Amino acid sequence: MHILKVLGALFKINVQQELAYRVDTLVNILMSMSWLAYELIGLAIIFGATNNIGGWRYGDILALLGVFRLINTFMMMIVWPNTEKFNRGIREGTLDYTFLQPVNSQFMVSFSRIVIWNAWNMLIGVVLIVIGLFFSNAAVPGIGSIASFLLLTFSGGVIVYSVWVVLISLTFWFTKFDNNVTLMQALMDTGRFPATVYPAWLRIIVTFIVPIAVATTVPLQALRGELTWWQVAVALLAGVVVFSLSRLVWVAGTRRYSGASS
Amino acid sequence: MQAMLTIYKRFWQVNWAEQWQYRANMIMYLAYWLVAPIVYLAVWTTIANTQGSVHGFTANDFAAYYLTLLPVDIATTSITIHILANKIQEGTISNELMQPVHPILTNTLMYNLAFKALQLAVFIVVWIVLVFLFKPVFTFTPLSLALVVPAIALGFTIRFLIDSSITLVAFWTTRVWAIEQFVNAFGSLLSGQFVPLALMPLAVQSVAHVLPFSLGVSFPVLLALNQLPPEQIALNFGLQIAWAIALGAVFMFIWRRALKQFSAVGA
Repeated sequence: MHILKVLGALFKINVQQELAYRVDTLVNILMSMSWLAYELIGLAIIFGATNNIGGWRYGDILALLGVFRLINTFMMMIVWPNTEKFNRGIREGTLDYTFLQPVNSQFMVSFSRIVIWNAWNMLIGVVLIVIGLFFSNAAVPGIGSIASFLLLTFSGGVIVYSVWVVLISLTFWFTKFDNNVTLMQALMDTGRFPATVYPAWLRIIVTFIVPIAVATTVPLQALRGELTWWQVAVALLAGVVVFSLSRLVWVAGTRRYSGASS
Repeated sequence: MQAMLTIYKRFWQVNWAEQWQYRANMIMYLAYWLVAPIVYLAVWTTIANTQGSVHGFTANDFAAYYLTLLPVDIATTSITIHILANKIQEGTISNELMQPVHPILTNTLMYNLAFKALQLAVFIVVWIVLVFLFKPVFTFTPLSLALVVPAIALGFTIRFLIDSSITLVAFWTTRVWAIEQFVNAFGSLLSGQFVPLALMPLAVQSVAHVLPFSLGVSFPVLLALNQLPPEQIALNFGLQIAWAIALGAVFMFIWRRALKQFSAVGA
């Protein structure tokens, strides 16, 4: 597989970059630990005043925080760093070289920068999910629930990624659109809590426009066995459809690209 | 004195013109500012609606609190680190050091104010929409709104001095952003940005009263909402003045050390 070989090479380069700044990596991991402490203190304050948020108990919210961390880590590890690189490429014209390479341009734009140390955050995410489920006294999820959880988390990640592809593709039409993802970054934080607590207008935004809730609340509902099989099927189908659409937008956008100097 | 005023006026004009150029970006920055308070507002409103109230706070109290917090936070926050940290690290701050005025207390200060002014102008529209959506009943009085003006001015002074002092650490280390994030995160718990301080455990509340973070957020908000007895108002104004002086001294101390440090590196 050609593309896997490329991915392997990119991975190696990024590990080397990380190892060149070892102390930074350590500081980053310490920072991520203190963010975790901050989040847990926040939850402790909220649950000092109540025992549920719109029907979600402490364990449920903790597990949700874990799923949020998985998605948010994917963004911090791959999506945001590559956005920075992409926007600089558009501005300075270095994107030309990406298109000249004999690899799918969308792949290179999406995965050329990988901030490796964030893998640590994925681990914390998984631990939070397990501890959360334990606290919520949920029955041990069956194979079906775990499978649909994994599939939905993946498809949720794909949906968020696809929205990102559309947003950066818009830069091909509107060159000065370099705060293309700011709104998306700002809305990420809504994933820390179940979408059901938000007022209708915000729920619509985080479900349909910037679908963070689809990637956080929905998979967890599947893990807790709250979704019927057709709801899971619709959510998965949405992933395929949104990804295909974003692919079309990217291809149309690249046809318009003419380099920074021409 | 007259000369100083002219200098400030000029810096204001330059920074205002510059901000006005980027007015479209302003909407994006606003989104950042808005999301966290709206998330907390939604969470607490849900809780208050389920159990009637949270330690005496009704859903309306939360809405009034957070919707007052938003403009106050914009008015008292400081963005010095975003303006200066890179300039210090790349050395381009030397241009400003050549000028015969203190760069942070003139140019950076005016940048902060111009940014705020434009941001508040854009925010008013958003605020009206939010008030329409959440329909809070505000308990403002003419006197409380008059008193909140000096409270915001002093609150900004305090937050500006804290933020600027942290920014100066960039003269020594490139990891100044990590320090800032850390202080901001725990400052937000102790300032009332996360949740009204009255809902915090008593131990945290007493820590918050000793530290300056609440003076730029919680105090002006509660003052505007007319929820503080007169002796509390007087005490908090006193604390604001004391902290402003103390932090001013700390800032000037670090500034002098930083300048020596900088010339040593540049030579």
